[in-house]
Amino acid sequence: MKAGPTLDPWKDVLGVDVAPERLHENLGAYRDILAEIVKLRSLDLTDVPPAVIFEPTAPYRLKGKR
Amino acid sequence: MSLWSEPIERLAPAVRAGKLSPVKLTETYLDRIAAIDDRLLSFIHVAGDEALKTARAAEREIAQGRWRGPLHGIPIGVKDNYLTHDMPTTAGTTAPGIAFPVRDSAAAVRLRKAGAILIGKTRTHEFAWGNVTPPVRNPWDLKKVPSGSSGGSGAAVAGGLCAAALGSDTGGSIRMPAAVCNLVGLKPTFGRISRDGVVPHSWSLDHAGPLARTVTDAALMLDVLAGYDPSDPACQDRPVPDHAKTLGRSIKGLRVGVCRNHFFERNQPEVEQAVEAAISDLAAAGASVRDFTIPLLEYGLGAIFAIELSSSTAYHDVSLRAGRVPHYQPDVRSLVELGRFVSGPDYLKAEQYRRALMDAFEQVFADVDVVVGPTTPITAWNSGEWTVDVGGRQESVLAASWRFTYPYNLTGLPAISVPCGFDRDGMPIGLQIAGRPFEEITVLQAAHAYERRHDWKDRWPSL
Repeated sequence: MKAGPTLDPWKDVLGVDVAPERLHENLGAYRDILAEIVKLRSLDLTDVPPAVIFEPTAPYRLKGKR
Repeated sequence: MSLWSEPIERLAPAVRAGKLSPVKLTETYLDRIAAIDDRLLSFIHVAGDEALKTARAAEREIAQGRWRGPLHGIPIGVKDNYLTHDMPTTAGTTAPGIAFPVRDSAAAVRLRKAGAILIGKTRTHEFAWGNVTPPVRNPWDLKKVPSGSSGGSGAAVAGGLCAAALGSDTGGSIRMPAAVCNLVGLKPTFGRISRDGVVPHSWSLDHAGPLARTVTDAALMLDVLAGYDPSDPACQDRPVPDHAKTLGRSIKGLRVGVCRNHFFERNQPEVEQAVEAAISDLAAAGASVRDFTIPLLEYGLGAIFAIELSSSTAYHDVSLRAGRVPHYQPDVRSLVELGRFVSGPDYLKAEQYRRALMDAFEQVFADVDVVVGPTTPITAWNSGEWTVDVGGRQESVLAASWRFTYPYNLTGLPAISVPCGFDRDGMPIGLQIAGRPFEEITVLQAAHAYERRHDWKDRWPSL
């Protein structure tokens, strides 16, 4: 029989198994950071492309170096 | 002046002329390391015999007329997150089950090719993820931190234990130790110096660069380290000018921008006074000064946390699953675990923000050539202290210390920290100068013009 949800969002949603006391400590440490990230979320950046690097020729630049 | 206190710009001509023996110079630093590094704890490994062997070879070559350049025969420290084939690399960790390749990083290759003597590995905050670098002490006050994560390099150069050192900078880790140790620290443009063989912390934020005693020394290091390397996917194939040769020019007509929000909202008063005086000095040297604001900076802390935390956690993912992370230092363990809380959309929003911030700076640089301000809002804090008074408000050192440095990691712009005075306790203060992408030359010229107006670089801690 398949196991049902454990009602632990970390385990069920993220697949991260963390001891409750450690999770509690980390969430406490994360509180101030989360406040900054929530502030970031409030920006409307719909039309701004992310500055991620995607360069399809990258593996070919290494030709001869491997 | 003692030999150990001379900058590369004065050592190099003497070495080239055969008036100064690289062996004697190396012995001088090794003796000083033996004499005082039990107090600074800046080196995790000292090369000793290997360094002397390289020094003897350099001496022979130079005597035969085969001088390679200004770093030939000069002892340089290497941060312990750069791979080296002849010295161990730990990235500051003692966690079991973690080992790094035994080979040279691109920077080590370039330094060796230039004839530099790699004198040892300097301590880093574990995995370069922090701004304290325990157990390293600040040479200006042993009770205080050298900042980080390149704190070992900062303490070693400031203590006169090597002529210059390599650092790495993800949110300020070259410029912060430089500022609090009275040194010059240069974070070049993202893509200017190869990071091949530097233990990754956050791929899109990590920069390699030097900590040095003078602006000219930083330029000499950059001239050797800069250049294209396909092994680093971010490294750009662009011409590298001779930075050191261009120094000394007048800055008359240079357009200096001062960002009045974010960088001047909350500083220790003596930091602000020193930086305002430095801005006046630049104006007195012929620069035109104009103020501006970038309101978007208010959102930067969330962006750099989202990128740095999630990147670091991705890098350490195998160690997380293998149960090694609980063996990290408590602060680093927490940061590595916290990255799991950052969602994919948060990460990409941070990358969108980053582009918006790059655009905002690009608009500013239409009207100015450099942007100046404080490197850090605070001077060095006591070891073990996690909150500091900043402008009358208690703030965590984690939030305060890198407030002015991380915008240039998010934007990838070149930025330098140059000494600009001391607080009432005799602790150094840094002036930060940033420029357009790949215009390190302008940044260095402005820093050099300021440096020449004071004797900050000639002051030494009493050790």
